[in-house]
Amino acid sequence: MAVEHNKNSERPVAEKGEHIIARHLIDDDAIKEEKNLVIDGVDVSGRWNTFIETRVDSEFDRSFFDEIQKTVVGSRINRCWQCGMCTASCTVTPLYRRFNPRAFIYMMQLGNLKLLKKYTDVAWRCVGCYKCSQRCPKQVNPAEMMEALALLIKKYFPEEIKSNHQLTIDEEVKKIYEGMILGHGRLDLANLHTSAMRKMGKTTELMSDKDERGAIFKMMKDGRALSVLRLGKPHKWHKSKDAIDNYLRHTGTLEQEK
Amino acid sequence: MGNLKENQAAYYPGCALLTIDRAYNNSSKLVSKKMGIELVDIPDYNCCGIGEMKSKGAVSLYLPLRNMVIAKSEFGSKDLVMACSVCYHEFTRSIERAKEDKKLLDEVNSILKEADEEEYVPEGGARHILEFLYNEKGPDEAKKNTVKPLKGLKVAPYYGCLYSRPSMYTFTDKKQGMDNSERPHFMHEFLESIGAEVVQYGNEVQCCGGRNVVQDEETSFALCSQTLSKAKKAGADVLAVICPKCAGALDVNQPKIIEKFGKDSELPVVYLTQLMALAFGFSEKEAQFSDMISNPLEVLKEKGRFI
Repeated sequence: MAVEHNKNSERPVAEKGEHIIARHLIDDDAIKEEKNLVIDGVDVSGRWNTFIETRVDSEFDRSFFDEIQKTVVGSRINRCWQCGMCTASCTVTPLYRRFNPRAFIYMMQLGNLKLLKKYTDVAWRCVGCYKCSQRCPKQVNPAEMMEALALLIKKYFPEEIKSNHQLTIDEEVKKIYEGMILGHGRLDLANLHTSAMRKMGKTTELMSDKDERGAIFKMMKDGRALSVLRLGKPHKWHKSKDAIDNYLRHTGTLEQEK
Repeated sequence: MGNLKENQAAYYPGCALLTIDRAYNNSSKLVSKKMGIELVDIPDYNCCGIGEMKSKGAVSLYLPLRNMVIAKSEFGSKDLVMACSVCYHEFTRSIERAKEDKKLLDEVNSILKEADEEEYVPEGGARHILEFLYNEKGPDEAKKNTVKPLKGLKVAPYYGCLYSRPSMYTFTDKKQGMDNSERPHFMHEFLESIGAEVVQYGNEVQCCGGRNVVQDEETSFALCSQTLSKAKKAGADVLAVICPKCAGALDVNQPKIIEKFGKDSELPVVYLTQLMALAFGFSEKEAQFSDMISNPLEVLKEKGRFI
């Protein structure tokens, strides 16, 4: 095979690696492209002259895989054969290209923490629409695999959560949910909304924004915001709470609480 | 409390429907009763977990299943009807996971035992009000009860996600009588049966931002503006929903969505059961249309003088 570089061609060339699906997953250095390439007399400039260097993962960690498989949400990680139907169906991917469920599951399968760490800023964006789980040919349940991913991030990258404003908010709002659902057995939506707004630093918006105030005022006026007072707690909920706390302290899995 | 009568069904209200989304709760009950089934609240219910407790192992199953136990012990009912799609998802998920995983079921039962509750035996199931009314009574029954057909009202049905997905939990396409998971049509049929005109707009089963409606407004607003503007462009007068979370994203947040994406996203949002109640002869006060932030009253008055 005769390979020559056609230096005279004026053909416009795409951005480096532009044709690669999920381009962000590959380092710049690993992509080899010739601007103008001729093989056996045929000009193959364009997408056919893109090559990705072989990568070797030297930090393959199987114990990590078992850790995920033991959780309720990650129990089917072994089934994934990386077809990419989840990413193709995803609601979030078109909005945030770096959110790629298939790739996340791959990283989890390989135990590649180093790579996962790069995606902590988008990994929390799953909206739970379950299109992926509906279409997955192996019933991996990728939507819940994203919950397993959140557990991993919580365990291995607590610093990332602290240093990222949005991740911190996500954590804080989750804590509000948890306090209400597990603590009181019922969810006070009006309180959830205002507490979450405060956590997000939108206290002024809560008081001054006309739309925000409009909805709150309406619900105060027609009594809905206060109907929460009538909700109360389930009878003998403290027993449920104690049993739940006890379980969460002793699971021995990623789900365990400190 | 004793067993239910033949024309009664055990009903799980959920937190949203008892407070902010009372319009959905009340209209669901009105419509069901008119069609011949009385929905009876189970006593002492607890929150289903609203999708935020999934990372807590068996606890995510405990929350819904404790209610199934109550339905069984208090009402002698294996099934539980609910109107909220998020609750429906949490219940169907828990029941299916408990059925397929004995170890997980044992864990749930040990929490139940410690909490002084009765044992859960996987049987029966959770039923979404739309599927329940469709299969128990059907659009023909709705047509029979219609005294004020919503003639000329163009409605965009919005199913959202969890009513029909994922079929591993909801059994859409898998069990006879269930809706289609990619192209659900039960709401279409009910809307036609009460005389409304159904609008096709392409976002019937898209997401409103779901789990992250509170935490991630940016994403939710973008998704909702697509749905609202597409429905509006297709000529819809109102968007009909069957989930309080969708309503929170599309209705309560609508003023903020309009501020960001413009008037294209301005479209009144109502619950399917509110429209059915109206068609069945209940007043706009009884159907509580004034609870909706996006103000459906005006278009209902203008379009067909329904109120």
